[in-house]
Amino acid sequence: MPINLGFLVAALQLGTTHKPEAILFWVLAPLVVLAALAMVFVKKAVHSALFLAWIMISLAIFFIAQQALFLGIVQIVVYTGAVMMLFLFILMLVGVDSSDSLKETIKGQKTAAILISVGIGGLFTSLIARATVAKPAVGLDTANVAGNVQGIATLLFTDYVWAFEVVSALLITAALGAMVLAHSQKNHQITQKELSALRFRQGDKSKAAGLPAPGIYALHNAVDVPGLLPDGSIATQSISKTLEARGEILSSDKFELQSNEEVED
Amino acid sequence: MATLNAPHLDYWALSPILVLLAGALIAVLAEAFLPNSLRRTASSALSFGSLIIAFACVLKEQHKTTAHAAIGSVTIDRAGIFLQGTILVLAFLSMVFLVDKDQFVAQASALPGSNEERVSLKAGRFQSEVYSLALFSLSGALLFVVANDFITLFVALELLSLPLYLMVGLSRRRRLLSQEAALKYFLLGALASAIFLFGAALLYGYSGSLTLTGINSSITGSNNNSYLLILGIALVLIGLLFKTGTAPFHSWVPDVYQGAPTPITGFMASVVKVAGFGAFLRIFYVGFDLAVTSWKPLVIGAAVISMFVGAIGTVVQRDGKRILAYSSIAHSGFLILAIVSLTKVTLISTLFYLITYGVATIGIFGAMSLIRDSVGEVGDTNRWAGLSKKSPLLAGVISIFLLSFTGIPLTSGFVAKFNLFTAVFVTGNWWLVLAAVIASAIAAYAYLRIIVQIYLSTTPASSVTVSVPSIATRVTLAITALFTIVIGVAPSLLIDFSNTFQTFIR
Amino acid sequence: MDISNYLYLSAILFTIGIAGVLIRRNAIIVFMSIELMLNAANLAFVTFSRTNGGLDGQVASFFTMVIAACEVVVGLAIIVTIYRTRRSASVDDASLLKR
Repeated sequence: MPINLGFLVAALQLGTTHKPEAILFWVLAPLVVLAALAMVFVKKAVHSALFLAWIMISLAIFFIAQQALFLGIVQIVVYTGAVMMLFLFILMLVGVDSSDSLKETIKGQKTAAILISVGIGGLFTSLIARATVAKPAVGLDTANVAGNVQGIATLLFTDYVWAFEVVSALLITAALGAMVLAHSQKNHQITQKELSALRFRQGDKSKAAGLPAPGIYALHNAVDVPGLLPDGSIATQSISKTLEARGEILSSDKFELQSNEEVED
Repeated sequence: MATLNAPHLDYWALSPILVLLAGALIAVLAEAFLPNSLRRTASSALSFGSLIIAFACVLKEQHKTTAHAAIGSVTIDRAGIFLQGTILVLAFLSMVFLVDKDQFVAQASALPGSNEERVSLKAGRFQSEVYSLALFSLSGALLFVVANDFITLFVALELLSLPLYLMVGLSRRRRLLSQEAALKYFLLGALASAIFLFGAALLYGYSGSLTLTGINSSITGSNNNSYLLILGIALVLIGLLFKTGTAPFHSWVPDVYQGAPTPITGFMASVVKVAGFGAFLRIFYVGFDLAVTSWKPLVIGAAVISMFVGAIGTVVQRDGKRILAYSSIAHSGFLILAIVSLTKVTLISTLFYLITYGVATIGIFGAMSLIRDSVGEVGDTNRWAGLSKKSPLLAGVISIFLLSFTGIPLTSGFVAKFNLFTAVFVTGNWWLVLAAVIASAIAAYAYLRIIVQIYLSTTPASSVTVSVPSIATRVTLAITALFTIVIGVAPSLLIDFSNTFQTFIR
Repeated sequence: MDISNYLYLSAILFTIGIAGVLIRRNAIIVFMSIELMLNAANLAFVTFSRTNGGLDGQVASFFTMVIAACEVVVGLAIIVTIYRTRRSASVDDASLLKR
């Protein structure tokens, strides 16, 4: 029985392009595929986002090459401009170096996933290669005769005007949703004045004037060195908790006077 | 340049959707401008008001003769009207449980366990945006069942889903669980949308048209097995199976049902399911009818897998919400049977099945949410033991719904199953009916086990209490339970009525 | 070059998107993969719009972009909420629901 290698020869003939477009395609398409693969396999989320931005810009170029000027511009404005910015913004918020641990929780899951994807990809491309369409290819010259933007506008405000109107509800939903999840109604915020009054009224009077300052030494610019209390002990509250957690605190020992004798010398 | 004539949209035909959207928008404004104390009352009044007006609009439109509105984007036919009416009635019933303040988070932006959360709980806050979100979702549902082209379908699908993703994450107790359910639902839902969209793109490529009628008319005898067409249909099918929670794309259902606030689960299991299947029926009946031989095996496969996965799941699970989730997967399997053998009779029996199942589901989720302990709702069915001694009435109501799910005679569930199975049987798919009956029998074990536990257990769990329901909740539970029995005893009341709503217009 | 090459590219990108969803566990990257799938669908729409000689495909693709923007807003809001709750964006950590 002969093996059907139909998927190796592109059988779906949709019409040919001009030479410059072919060159554009063969330069950009491999790069797009590489970027997509990199997006999936690269470790850091920020790098993935940048690869995705590159894919989106390339697709915008493809759109313009395919007589969809308006969409090309919108793609750049909406996708690379708004959507990717939002992604990057959230990535920065969540933590730039939030990288995946690449160890597998389910054993063999990654291999299985890659195999499945390759299978799906093979199936899709081979099916498309052997597909037929009900109508012959036409080209957009007649549809774009009054201009691409005008053509889209005509459709948008006649045939699809109802969907266009409903989309507004979708946009409101999105805004409302973000509000629900992120906007906090302030429960009475304590002002600085109230806070200082509170310090005097209750608690330790020694802290009424504020927390002790970090040690200031002639030898060192010293927010990372704890200050010393009059009795010589270290004032733990004089340094930031964050610096302490990062382990960037110097000991104040080496800035201390070594002994009374040295002073006398 | 050609002049652009202003399109005629036929706003009366779209009025139910417009009323709900207006209600939702006014509710959003109320959130913005009213003081905290009034918001909840205002929003709930607006929701119920707009639901009633929308239903009146549906009633007014039901005898309309022109089928297409909004320049062919929407088909208002008898089946569409029936589905819209069903969705509105179910929405009204399920939104009664939305009033229960105890189910929703006081302030979604406050971190769980934080001081801010404690303060807002103490202040008796309520995230009353839930109402406007529910109304947006509902208007999406109403549009989804009448949409006639893939752009409108996609917009409606998203309008239906986006508010749901948000509402799932708003549970008052076990908030992390609820938020995780929202994330899971969102990611899988977005994936399903993308797959659906790619399918639509391929169908557009094949036929050159985005409308369902256009796609169907381009399927001619000679090329009805084009790979582009089949791939497109398969991808659209996968998207719809995801959204309706049908196996093999059901993995999100149990987790999301469990994590979501119970009223939202009821909403999803009834309203969203009806909308999903309504659109499912329309797309396959109107859009893909001529290619029936190529997609039939896929749908049959999904139906059989779904029935058995759901049935076995109900038996294995112990948590009440998870049991109902698997039960809903099994019911999806039964409902898909109707798509396999699309005739007018199966269509009516599907519509009938959808409404009876929806009512019983709302009822049982409402009843379930009344069983509490000191932490919150009691999900574990083992702890429902001896419930009949604590509250005979609640035990009775739950049993009615469970018997209806089982398909015991004299309940609406029996009539619905009987109608659907005979309709499928008549079309010659006897082995599908056999599979469905076996699956029902397996699931019956799970339902009956709960009833046995409720009634016969001698050691009632001491910490479990039955909270006192509000009057609205009582009335709704009574209505749903009565409906389940009355339709079971006298099915002709509803069947005769739904008989007049039998057609999808191509 | 045949126009159908754009379709193969679109199918490949769609598949890589699926692979991303299956392989990655960072919710944000999974979501980016879904965006890639939507972009692939857009490319298919635009290509078919060209072969079919109508602008409906381009309009569909325009709607997709708007809807994707809405989806991103909601999705990222949910992801940030979870992150704030548990300071991690890995799908694996979201596993309280697993039994």
